[in-house]
This record gives sequence, structure tokens and C-alpha cells, in this order.
Amino acid sequence: MPITDATLIQNPLRRPAILLRRYIIYTVVVAIILIMSLHLLVYGTDWSRMGSPSEIADIAISLLPNLEFIPKIMTPLVDTALMAFWGTLLAVVMSVPVSYLAASTTTPSMIFTFPIGRGLIVLSRSTHEIIFALIFVATLGLGPLPGILALACRSVGFMSKTTAEAMENVDRGPVEAIASTGAGTTARFLFGVVPQVFPIFLGNAIFAFDANVRRAAILGMVGAGGIGLHFSEQMRSYNYGNAGACVLAVVVLVIVGEIISNRIRTKLISG
Amino acid sequence: MTDKIDSIHNAYISNRRTVGLVKFGVGLALLVFGFWTVSFLNIPMDRLLSLFGRLGPMLTNRIFPPDLVYATEWKVLLSLVETIEMSILGAFYGTIITIPLAWWAAWNITPNRTILYPFARAIIVLCRSVPALILGFLLVAIFVFGPFAGVLALTIGTIGFTGKLMAEQAETIDMGPVEAIRATGAGPLKVFVFGIWPQVKPAWSGIIIYNWDARLRGSTILGFVGAGGIGLHLRLQISQLEYHAAMGIIILVVVLVIFSEAISHYLRERLR
Repeated sequence: MPITDATLIQNPLRRPAILLRRYIIYTVVVAIILIMSLHLLVYGTDWSRMGSPSEIADIAISLLPNLEFIPKIMTPLVDTALMAFWGTLLAVVMSVPVSYLAASTTTPSMIFTFPIGRGLIVLSRSTHEIIFALIFVATLGLGPLPGILALACRSVGFMSKTTAEAMENVDRGPVEAIASTGAGTTARFLFGVVPQVFPIFLGNAIFAFDANVRRAAILGMVGAGGIGLHFSEQMRSYNYGNAGACVLAVVVLVIVGEIISNRIRTKLISG
Repeated sequence: MTDKIDSIHNAYISNRRTVGLVKFGVGLALLVFGFWTVSFLNIPMDRLLSLFGRLGPMLTNRIFPPDLVYATEWKVLLSLVETIEMSILGAFYGTIITIPLAWWAAWNITPNRTILYPFARAIIVLCRSVPALILGFLLVAIFVFGPFAGVLALTIGTIGFTGKLMAEQAETIDMGPVEAIRATGAGPLKVFVFGIWPQVKPAWSGIIIYNWDARLRGSTILGFVGAGGIGLHLRLQISQLEYHAAMGIIILVVVLVIFSEAISHYLRERLR
């Protein structure tokens, strides 16, 4: 059949009504973006207080890392990494009961315990780590301990959610095979479900550690230990070079953490 | 014959012993490492034990009941709108920058493997590795107090977040259509528009929506360093020790985030 204009118009994606609808959607999206940009970036920003380009460049240059400061922040840097480690470990421990409650296949009661598990997951995932850190700093005082607890509370949601999903999607074959030997609920769970879920669980724990390194780096800003305290101190005392050194240290720590966790994850996946 | 079996058995037993010893050693090393980190971090264990004793009175006296009257004041609600706007703008501008970067940073479809590929990878890694709050603080110092710095921080965060996911997604596409369009003599841009874009569009749309959700979470806290949004009110209330009002704002933020998660879940389901 020769392609004519008529066949092109027959194309359902090119019907005028659909095209019109699509263009209306595009226009609305662009209009919303424009209105928001106008509101925030043109009227919401105090342009008279923004420096000239040369002043901006001066500040940016003064932020270049002062390498002499780096030996002084090695201890808080190690603190940060250890906080991420302990926070992840606590989250892993806490996620076992929470995911047990929140997986529809294992939860004891769909009416009482399932909503509790899901609610804990939503609460943990939707609250920023800074907010957890503020609550724990107010209760426990300054130092790495509230930071560790904040990281644990923050990442337990991710860990439980992925684990609960993995437990719901588990292959029923092995579980039934174990049940057919006369095994009870505990044995079915331990030898049927756990071996299938464990690799996913471990991979997610490493992923959570990677995310926690980033989170641990800012917790110090509210006094919860780690390098964030030194960064915000140096920023507030206008030692921009030292603050730049802190940022450099954080960047290196995060990249190293990502490389290590990527290595371990690929090893886990390939066996 | 029996000697052989015995020797195999002995080898098995000794092997099992070695494995057990190694496992024991690793466990011991981990335990020592754990104790060392606790002493290195100066963690006061007695405080940890008194946590629950203190958390209860604190929650009941200082935080509960949350002051929702303050949290629903006009200026707070307006800053909530500002937070949402910041997240949308940051996600939008970041996505526009990320689309070419993700194209260049995918090994199989990158137009130039010697210059553009490492360049795009380096930008994405750099943007990924600076936490949003630190970035917001730096940008407030460089530019100006207010949502401008926040939008810029969220844009950079978006580049780091979506860049990696979108490039990984693009590396899994079917190279057949790409080769076919290349064979017609099309330039890199045409190959992208007609060979790559239709294949990656569904997955990239999902990533973009998910990214908006993640940016909204980040933007609620950027006001802590003066980069616009509701975080400023949260910080003011906390530094004035008005924990009831702060808790009201926290509840507002949590509701907003749950709502945005529902929207993003709905949109991603509709895309499928």
C-alpha cells in the first residue's frame, strides 16, 4: 500500500484531538514552570544582594580547599564513616522485625500488625535524617550516638520495605517442599524463605551503607557528630578555605564508599 | 583402600577445622573492631540505656501536643508552597541538563568515548558526591540567601541522582534500531532522537518522577542553611526551643512527603 497523506492521518497518534491534547499538556507544563521560575527566581530572590560576577568568582575561589586543614579533620572523617557503619548495622537489625510485620505473607495479622509495619516504614522513609537527629540530640545530647540512631531510624524504612517486598515475592516451591516434610512455621521461614531473601537483603544493606555515608556527612550540622560540625563551624567563621577542605574530604569519602559498595555488590550478584 | 578413605576423611576434617578457625578469627576480629569503634566514637553507653527513659517524657512534655496553629499560619503555608515549587523547578532544570549528560555517559551510545564519556561521568559523580545540605550552604555563601541557591542545589542533586540511573538504563537498550538509524547516515543527534529516545522514554519518565519525589524530601530541609523553603521556619522554631511549633511543622512536612509519594506512585503506575 502506498503511503499517502490519508494513511498518515489514520495514524492514531497523529489524530488532531490527541495532538491538541498533547500540545495543551505541554503548554500547561511550560506555563507552570514559567510561573514558578518567575515567582522564585525573579521575585523571590534578592537580586540586589547578589554580588557582581567578579565578587561571586572571588567567593568561589576562596572556597578552594585549604589542604593544610585536612590532617585536622581526619578523625571526624573516620567518625563519619563509623557512624554510617553502625547506623546501617542497627537498621539491619531493626528491619528484621519490621519487615516481618510489613510483609503480607508473614505478618501475623493483616488487621493489626500489617498496618503497624507499613506505618513504621512510611514514617521512617518520609522523615528527613536531620529531623531524627534533632529529636535524638535533644534527648541524648551531642555526639555521634544520636547521629547513629538517626541514621538507623532513617534507613530502617528502606531496608524493611525492600526486604518485605522480597519476602512477598519469594518462590513458594522450597517453602512447600519444607512444609511437606512436616516442618513447622519457624522451620519453614528459616529454611524456605530466609535463604532466598538473604542475598537481596545483603545487597540492600550495602546500598543503605552507601546512602548513610552521604547522610552522616551532614548530621554534624545539628550536633550529631561527624564532619558536618567542622564544616558548618568553618563556614560560620568565614574560613572558606577550611570549609572547602571539609567538602573535599566528604566528596572523597563518598566516592570511596560508593566504589567499595559497588565492588561488594557486583561480587555478591556474580556469586 | 581404607587408607585412602581415611586420608580423604582426615583431609576433610582438617579442612573443616581450618574453615572453623578462620570463621572464628573473623568473628573475633569483627568483635574487637566493634569495641574499638565504640571507644573511638566516645559513645557513652549509659546514656544509650537511659534513652527510653528520656524519650518518653520528652515526647510527652516538649513535643506533644504539636502546635498546629502555628504550622497552619499563612507564612508557613506559603513557604510550604515555595518548597514544592523549589523541588519542581530543581527537578525540571536538572532533568533538562541530565538528558544530554546521560546520553554521553552511557558507554554503548555515547557519541565520543574519549572526551565526552569521561567528561559526563565525572560531572555526574561530582554532583552525586556532595550532600544537598552542604551544597545549599556553599551556594548560599557564593550567591544569595533564598530560593535561588536552593533551586541550584536541587538542580545539581538531580543531575547526580538521575544521571547515574538514566545512563544505566540507556546501557540496557536494544542496539538494533540505533545501528539501523546510524546506517542511514544520520548524525549523532538524529540517532539520539529517533533511535535512543523512543526506547528510553518510558524508563526515563519513571526515573524523572521518582527523582522529583526524592528532591521534595531534600527541599524540605534546605531552608536550614537559608536556601529557601519551610526548613527556615523549622530552624527558627528549634533555635527558639519552641518544640511544639517545630513538631507541627515536622508533621506538615511528613504529610506533604507522604502525599508526594502517593502522587509519584500513581504517576509511575499510570506510565506502565
